[in-house]
Amino acid sequence: MAKARLSQEGVVFALAVALFVVFAATLNNFLTAGNLIALVRSVSILGILGLGMGLVVIGRGIDLAMVATMVVSLSWVLSMAQAGMPFDTALVYGALLALAIGLASGILIAYADIPAIFTTLAMGLVMYGSGRAFLFQIDVQNSPGGVDWFDFLGRGAFLGLPMPIVAFAVLAALVALVLMRTRFGRFVYAAGDNALAARITGLPLRPLIVAQYVISALIAFLAGVVMAAAVSGMSTRVYNSTMIYDVLLVVVLGGISLSGGRGSVRNVLVGTLLVGVLLNGMTILDITYTTQNLIKSLILLLAITVDSFINPRDEQTSQQSQGDI
Amino acid sequence: MNPLVQLRGVSKDFRGVLAISDVNLDVRPGEIHAILGENGAGKSTLMKVLAGVYQPSSGEMVLDGKPTVFNSPSDALAHGVAMVFQETNLVPAMSVAQNIYLGDEKLFNRLRGLNIQAQRYLLSLNFYVDPTSQVSTLGAGKKQMVEIARAVHHHARLIIFDEPTATLTPEEKFHFFNLARRLKEQGIAIIFISHALEEALYLSDRITVMRDAKVVATDDTRNFDRDRIVQAMVGRSLSGELYAGDKRKARPMGKKILSVENLSMGNTVRNTSFSVFAGQVTGMFGLVGAGRTETMKIVAGVLKRDYFHGGTVRFEDRPVRYRTPRPAVRDGIVYVTEDRKIEGFFETMTIASNVQLGALATGANPLTVVTPRNARELATAWTKRLGVKAIDADARVIELSGGNQQKVVLSKALIQKPKLVVLDEPTRGVDVGTIVEIHNFINELADSGMAVVVISSYLPEILALSDRILVARQGRVVEEMDIAEATESRIMYAAVH
Repeated sequence: MAKARLSQEGVVFALAVALFVVFAATLNNFLTAGNLIALVRSVSILGILGLGMGLVVIGRGIDLAMVATMVVSLSWVLSMAQAGMPFDTALVYGALLALAIGLASGILIAYADIPAIFTTLAMGLVMYGSGRAFLFQIDVQNSPGGVDWFDFLGRGAFLGLPMPIVAFAVLAALVALVLMRTRFGRFVYAAGDNALAARITGLPLRPLIVAQYVISALIAFLAGVVMAAAVSGMSTRVYNSTMIYDVLLVVVLGGISLSGGRGSVRNVLVGTLLVGVLLNGMTILDITYTTQNLIKSLILLLAITVDSFINPRDEQTSQQSQGDI
Repeated sequence: MNPLVQLRGVSKDFRGVLAISDVNLDVRPGEIHAILGENGAGKSTLMKVLAGVYQPSSGEMVLDGKPTVFNSPSDALAHGVAMVFQETNLVPAMSVAQNIYLGDEKLFNRLRGLNIQAQRYLLSLNFYVDPTSQVSTLGAGKKQMVEIARAVHHHARLIIFDEPTATLTPEEKFHFFNLARRLKEQGIAIIFISHALEEALYLSDRITVMRDAKVVATDDTRNFDRDRIVQAMVGRSLSGELYAGDKRKARPMGKKILSVENLSMGNTVRNTSFSVFAGQVTGMFGLVGAGRTETMKIVAGVLKRDYFHGGTVRFEDRPVRYRTPRPAVRDGIVYVTEDRKIEGFFETMTIASNVQLGALATGANPLTVVTPRNARELATAWTKRLGVKAIDADARVIELSGGNQQKVVLSKALIQKPKLVVLDEPTRGVDVGTIVEIHNFINELADSGMAVVVISSYLPEILALSDRILVARQGRVVEEMDIAEATESRIMYAAVH
């Protein structure tokens, strides 16, 4: 099984490279500077969201409220900034809102034992609805001009790399460090692998679950900051798009198992690469939006099916053969 | 009378471990047949072979004089063999009538017609259950009736019960006895597994006793008495070889580290009181349903005792009530599970990571830096001490043998430096060589001054390890004895009702 998992990562990476080469050779507009920048930009936001989702999925959860958190917190920040509040202050409020959303989801999941998939699905809807009702009125919020670091984050470059990708890289390194090298990170893996064993071993299981959703909400907020900087605004249409499924696709296709405890930031990286190239190529090929969605959804379905074959979520299958004597 | 079902030399093994070995058994039409034996003697497996849940590895089953193989429980039912499990197989949200005719529905069902049909049918069996009531609202006794009705409806000639009276109240038990007799009058054979000797002696026509995967005695009930049954259940040939018979001297009692007073939890732990001392191995023996695991899980914070009239637990003279295992672990109480696969180890992780998690769990700061190297250093120290054999240190725990997995779980627990360690069935699913190693290790722990509680369903293990023995029955500790005065029969007497 160890081999199967290793090769899954390799296969995904090879696929991404192959797809990139094919697109570069066959599509005229693929290898242009303008397109590559667009690719990188879309990829980095997907990737940042994928980091948060990946962390939660490793802990055997799922956060479907990430895109809602991103859209609502950033739309609110921008509308407050438009109304004259200093941008930095508005950002602090936005971060606090994201934190509150993560805290609410986490507490419901950890202490009320509601399945994560339903909690976060409903939480996303609630936040989007109340955002539209109370926090901002128009669909598209524009970024305020004249904030230097914000403009640099959107359009600047560091060592020739566009800033969004730098932000993604820095966050990826940070999340990888937390997952691999801190007590908290090891606890996330343990809880995802076997929550009952984690509890008996003396891990603080419930606070741990809450922390995961708080982190994923804060990462969603950061993704929103990068997005708002890169496209100079935030549109509520993002919430109604298929973005959350793209994020799931990144995570599952990259090889983080929905059965928990398996995977790492490396999987998010290769998943991001493949999904990014795929989406960009399909757009240049002028495949209609509907067909694109169909293709993505079929790949997602396939990836989940393969995952549940390689990493069965339920241990019962293996127990049946053992029997009780 | 020709037997209804005969088993000839039937064996069943699970990955090389024999659960039943060379069993011969015949069941006559219209008899009530009790199957007795210790936990793990192979009773349940035998019944599941009869009911088609498992297929025998060797030997044959003869039904009505013809060799037959049941491929599934529904296949067995088609041949007239039904099994009523401990957990009922009814659909809770459906009515009694719907459950009886489940799988038998016509394309269009008239609910009223179905209810009338069920009513007539239940009355014909003398079962007083309302066919329209929802199954989830029924008590255990009535649920059992519905299961029996369903079996009889499918023309069962043999009904197998797995501990039918375990969940029943005394009145319901009495009613069950009457039901069994009525079925018998209709020529239906009944087999039941029981831990209650009196029940078996009272109800059955014949008794079969199993021990260590084999049938050791089958005879008419009138030829049995309590003594003979207990003798058959415990008299082991194997015990002499593995567990040295010489009486050890008990270690002296250390400080009283744990005292439990009037502890209660629901129906499983009933007002139990006992103490545990440092520097000793305290053995806890009991049959299924004695509440040993639950009691110790409450002590270790894995389960919570009743809020009202739940009793008190004192650890080091301080009253404690843990809501989760975490504070218990940090205070020095560690519980090592009987089911390591479900709640013992982290299967996708390496041995080193598993052991390291034990050490990490006792600390608080979430941002403490850990490195693969300190995991490996920690792990090698412990795996060396316990002698875990693995192909390489990076092997995943799931790939290890049962004995080595158990050692990893032990290392993970002991790295937490407990003052009181509870080992629940520490040698279950472990090979013979490793059993000896684990026993030696348990002795070392007690010698070093730790308080060790060993829960075991295997009498020779209890006798080989314990300095003091607690015997539990029906949710409470009923007897306490020193190793010097303990014998197999005395313990078994205390453990059966």
